[in-house]
Amino acid sequence: MTGLKCDKISMKFGALSAVQMVSFSLNPGEILGMIGPNGAGKTTLFNCIIGILKPTSGKIYLNDADVTGMKPHKICRMGMAKTSQIMQPFMTMTVFENVLVGALHGAQLKMGQARRETEKVMELVQLTEHADKLSNSIPVPARRRLELARALASGANILLLDENMAGLNPHEIDEALKILKKIRDSGKSLIVVEHIMRAVMGISDRIIALNYGAKIAEGFPEEVVNNEAVIKAYLGEKLSSLKVA
Amino acid sequence: MNSKADRIILILFLLVSAGLFFVPGFVESEYVLRLITMVIFWVGIAGCWNIMSGYTGYIDFGPVVYFGIGSYVNAIAMTKYSLAFFPSLFLSGVLSAVVALIIGIPTLRLKGAYFAIATFAFAEAMKQITLEFDRTFKVSFFQGSDGITLPISGYDNAFFFYCILPVTFLVMLTHYFIEHSKFGYGLKAIKEAEIGAEISGVNTTAIKLRAYITSAFFLGLFGAIEAYWITYITPSEVFNVQKTVQMVIMTLLGGMGTFLGPIVGATFLTLLSESLGTRFVEYYLIMIGAIIIVAILIMPSGIIGTLKIRKRLRFI
Amino acid sequence: MDAVLVQAIINGLLLGGVYAAYSAGFSLIFGVMGVVNLAHGELIMLGAFTSYWLFQFFNLDPYFSAPFAMVFLFSFGYLVQRFILNRVMGLPHIMSYILTFGLHLMVANIAIKIWTHDFRSITTSYSGANAAILGLNIPYARLITFVVALFVTWGLWFFLMKTETGRAIRATAQDKEVARLMGVDIRNIYAITFGLGAAITGLSGAVISPFVIISPEMGLEYTIIAFCVVVLGGMGYIPGALVGGLTLGVAQSLAATYLNAGVSVAITFIILFMMLVIRPTGILGKGNIA
Repeated sequence: MTGLKCDKISMKFGALSAVQMVSFSLNPGEILGMIGPNGAGKTTLFNCIIGILKPTSGKIYLNDADVTGMKPHKICRMGMAKTSQIMQPFMTMTVFENVLVGALHGAQLKMGQARRETEKVMELVQLTEHADKLSNSIPVPARRRLELARALASGANILLLDENMAGLNPHEIDEALKILKKIRDSGKSLIVVEHIMRAVMGISDRIIALNYGAKIAEGFPEEVVNNEAVIKAYLGEKLSSLKVA
Repeated sequence: MNSKADRIILILFLLVSAGLFFVPGFVESEYVLRLITMVIFWVGIAGCWNIMSGYTGYIDFGPVVYFGIGSYVNAIAMTKYSLAFFPSLFLSGVLSAVVALIIGIPTLRLKGAYFAIATFAFAEAMKQITLEFDRTFKVSFFQGSDGITLPISGYDNAFFFYCILPVTFLVMLTHYFIEHSKFGYGLKAIKEAEIGAEISGVNTTAIKLRAYITSAFFLGLFGAIEAYWITYITPSEVFNVQKTVQMVIMTLLGGMGTFLGPIVGATFLTLLSESLGTRFVEYYLIMIGAIIIVAILIMPSGIIGTLKIRKRLRFI
Repeated sequence: MDAVLVQAIINGLLLGGVYAAYSAGFSLIFGVMGVVNLAHGELIMLGAFTSYWLFQFFNLDPYFSAPFAMVFLFSFGYLVQRFILNRVMGLPHIMSYILTFGLHLMVANIAIKIWTHDFRSITTSYSGANAAILGLNIPYARLITFVVALFVTWGLWFFLMKTETGRAIRATAQDKEVARLMGVDIRNIYAITFGLGAAITGLSGAVISPFVIISPEMGLEYTIIAFCVVVLGGMGYIPGALVGGLTLGVAQSLAATYLNAGVSVAITFIILFMMLVIRPTGILGKGNIA
């Protein structure tokens, strides 16, 4: 099977369990939303999947290959990339060069080919106008798209987006959602971690919810947001009787 | 892509290099020739440091170790194994690179101050080992503080000029290559955000190691040439931390991670120490200290780095 | 156990206590600001000279000159941080390494200019006097210094843990942005931290002055030992300086007794390198990794 499969992933930091026995799979061409309150373990889970952290236990399969504990650059070259919640552009490089790094090293393209690929990706995410600017001089929404472009240029088929819409206004979110749909339609699968409910609801084929590091719900968007446990996790015990319709 | 300015710089660089080739034919004064040779020598050495530390941001405080290894390999190969200079020179570079591979693998996992201190410690350890090895193990190999006297070359300064020029040329050509290649983009990405580079597919470990080994190889060559030139080496001299300091300061003054940085910085500082160092010996180090402090405070990116930012220049 | 071994260990512990005292300041400065202070040895040198001149002019006992050295070096450190180092705090750490290296060159060479290259020493009434206990020799001066050193390291730890300023320093070390939001004046705290580090380092310089050679060029060697001690104990972890100091002191003393002094220096660097590569968080594993 192509796609991503996580099998009972746990991550402990000393006595603290940041992720507990989380299993899920991502099908080709799918957008999977991931929600959960702050500290639910979403970023840690991403870091385990992408190879920045080595999970304490559990297995991660990418296109049926076991990639658990592999180095991030290897995982990237096998077709999975991540954008970070805290943006880390290569500051002193131009936007174009930032994306070029992904094409050269991630997709392992030759310089000429890499440049063409970079141009293509930049057009897809509407960054062409910023191409020659230094990456620390462009506005936040463009920086968010830059992260996306770098991940795309690395040739990934599976993209993990960690709060890629944080700090955007409603109009910018709509634009971002359009781009994500375009990316999905080009045959990629995405996992989208997002706090903005409207964004996740509007785009996800399926949603999983995490709380205290454990998966508490999985299903279609409407199912998950009406799930008792999810509401409790978000609103706390007392308010849970208020039921969100 | 600022390819026009780029090409101009490449052409200028090639022209100057080619012009330098004829210098020994025109310069009458041995003093001037020696001074020019020293400038080229330091440009190359500062360049070696720049390849590793300037581009990756990993501050190597022990590059002198590879210079010293080069000196010792050359000295031992020529005196104990009667190897001719050129094969011995090549061997010096290769062995420096091999040591860099062995040391680089564990050391390059360290970050920031830890990497800096580890490289410094390794260099000092090597100095002490070459000093104490013979006495401790009752052998005669490194000849401790007595040092090793190499065979007298009989060559004049022009010969050493022609040894040093091509090595410096190669070091600077490596810079140019870094500025325009996949390898170079990898290095710069590591400097800016190492995890970001890794998740974008950059094999950070391999790339850092490559830079470290390249730098060590050239430093080994320089060490070997200098040993043959001055014909007498001791551990305290070839592993002298002062050399490391020079490389760092020259590159920093010129601009770390830039093509012209080591050229500008090394030329400036070599000429400065030549003019001030002899006339104001007592105040020289105080002044160098003051220059370092002032330079960092007013232009932390160095002369070229500051120009690059102000004028929005790219590949220099 | 034979007497030579016991004597070597005792010498090592006495030496190690002193190492601990002058490395604690280095560790503090690194832990809070990430500055690897390459001018650290010069702080010791200035402390030792303070004590030397007070002894020369006023015949003040080196142990009583310690408070003066503290005050002098606190002011020196405070000003250096306030007017020089603070200006590069947001930049890559190498800037601070190079700045402190520039400082090292300036201070050491100005000192040479004023005080020449001469080696000096302080001869007190108790210089060279030993307490003979069970056939072992324990030099009085080193013993007193050892006790002072332990007290200083403990005092610094106590200050950081129990006082308001200490808390502000620790908060800044942990997260300077949050500390700023909580109303801590970061730049002032940095200056105080450097001043404090310099003060206890200067104090160490004063209390070792009865039995070391004092010269403007003494600094670099002490900087290197401080490196090693702090890495062994865990960088930025103050009590670690004690563990690192004692370990290094004993290791060096054993190497010097059974091999020779040169090998003991080699061993220092080999330990330093191996430690960084194998266990960069120090013996206790409590150092902070940048």
